[in-house]
Amino acid sequence: MEWQWLPGHLDDLAAATVQHLQLSLLPVLLGLIISLPLGIVSVRWRWTYPPIFGVANLLYAVPSIALFVFMSQYVTGLSVASAIIPLALFTLSVLVPNVVDGLKQVPDPVRQAATAVGFGTLRRLMQVELPIAVPVIVAGVRVATVASISLGSVAGIMGLGGLGQLFQDGQQRDIPSEVFAGIVLTIVLAFVCDLILVVVQRALTPWTRARKGAAA
Amino acid sequence: MITFDHVTKRYPDGTVALDDFTLDCATGEITVFVGTSGGGKTTALRTINRMVDPTSGRVLIDGQDVRDKSPAELRRGIGYVIQQVGLFPHRTIRDNIATVPYLLGWDKKKARETAMELMARVGLPTSMAKRYPFQLSGGQQQRVGVARALAADPPVMLMDEPFSAVDPVVRAELQQEFLRLQAELHKTIVFVTHDVDEAIRLGDHIAVFRTGGTLVQHATPAELLARPADDFVASFIGRDRGIRLLSFHNADGIELHDAAVVAGSADRSAARAALAGVSGEPWLLVVDDARRPIGWLSQDALDSVPETAELRDAGLLPIGNTFTVGVDPLRSALDSSVLSPSGRAVGVDADGAVLGIATQADLATAIRTVAAGDLHPHPLDRAPDEPAEPAGDA
Repeated sequence: MEWQWLPGHLDDLAAATVQHLQLSLLPVLLGLIISLPLGIVSVRWRWTYPPIFGVANLLYAVPSIALFVFMSQYVTGLSVASAIIPLALFTLSVLVPNVVDGLKQVPDPVRQAATAVGFGTLRRLMQVELPIAVPVIVAGVRVATVASISLGSVAGIMGLGGLGQLFQDGQQRDIPSEVFAGIVLTIVLAFVCDLILVVVQRALTPWTRARKGAAA
Repeated sequence: MITFDHVTKRYPDGTVALDDFTLDCATGEITVFVGTSGGGKTTALRTINRMVDPTSGRVLIDGQDVRDKSPAELRRGIGYVIQQVGLFPHRTIRDNIATVPYLLGWDKKKARETAMELMARVGLPTSMAKRYPFQLSGGQQQRVGVARALAADPPVMLMDEPFSAVDPVVRAELQQEFLRLQAELHKTIVFVTHDVDEAIRLGDHIAVFRTGGTLVQHATPAELLARPADDFVASFIGRDRGIRLLSFHNADGIELHDAAVVAGSADRSAARAALAGVSGEPWLLVVDDARRPIGWLSQDALDSVPETAELRDAGLLPIGNTFTVGVDPLRSALDSSVLSPSGRAVGVDADGAVLGIATQADLATAIRTVAAGDLHPHPLDRAPDEPAEPAGDA
């Protein structure tokens, strides 16, 4: 493999990485913003869950390439939006069920006690139920993030930016080291993002850690 | 006072959880709801804080209908403790206790100070303030539960089987501290349990429920034991009703004798002299210099005591339990008698000094007096096979 391509293109690699972060993480954020209310509604009114989850799941069945092509051809043109919107829709199939599971595993006595001490419905949701659901929701966010970083490459191949460009460019101009750099950077990005999420979750939920010994 | 005014709860499927329930729960007292499962006791409790809204009838707190306030506002003024505790796992012990003060918008510092005071009050080390619920034992968690209910100093407390999930030793401890707390705080407490012994131990008044949501009897524990309203209540209370009743009568009426009490420093001849003074008494109670009991000495054993030995060295038999006059109930005196090798109960004062000895005949006299007052108040007015009158609302 020819390695001399790399030193001269570090700037390009950095730019592609930053762009990839944007086009793969923004969808997760958007997906979470959409999933939270959908999940809350699904738990509050149980009958809404099958249709909501059904649609989210069906969206995932649409081939990503097809959706990227459709968006860039007919909707948002050749821009990051054409990557972000489909990727955001894909996260729903993971995030909605996790929000639902997270809220459902709030122990009934806890919910009852919250009601009995005088939490209103909204306050109970914000101060009791959602905080207790955080570990399960974050678990979903981790899966969605890694999946989104991986799928984001496909968007790049379609010419929508990010690390995927390196695959396309490297293949067309026969620069294997460029393709290789793209693969490594994708993996590193996924790993680092996942690690950050683990750290964030530990900071948010000190109460899940078994630290009897440390506190005694 | 909490007033139930013809409260009925009927579910859409036709189940009646509570059937025309009328009762007053006195201010500053513990009213225990006890009964079989499906008796409606928890449903009745929950109508007070509107966790259940009655199909018909009213619930009043100090004359005010509970529906006059919004549920959230009402509930912030009513402490609530449940069997599964229901602590918030994501909040520290201190913040769990301060829940209601936070909801009421107290200053954060004041809320936390209150929480710390309450931790001490319910017997939790304040060093636990920053721990999370999962780091505590079941008994400790329930103490937090009680502290959380008390945090905003509500006049009314609702407790739904709060001590049922812990082991018997911890339960007894929690019950005792609960009574100690109540003696200081004088809350109006409604306490649900399926354990009739717990009801008798804790209740100022007890309401007995039967399946179908009907109130069968409302009475003090002593009345309940003495005069259960019907066979259901009698069988629900269970065995040893008579013995348990003795817990509610003090032992002050027992006649005590102190002629057979001798000092441990005395010798055989002094003991003989003491025995001679009480004809037919075969037992001596040997006491120390502060008149605390050391042990029993029988007349027969006295013969084998060396002439010059002190009685305290004479191989005395153990005392078993004593009872404290003015404090312990008649049941403790009976217990003392049963456990004593002499068959006699030893009455002591608060310092443990012997006041006197009661024979089984003396106990029998005291028990007959109780029975005459409580169980058979008018034995001559009634034919022997006529049932006792059911006790009405007291």
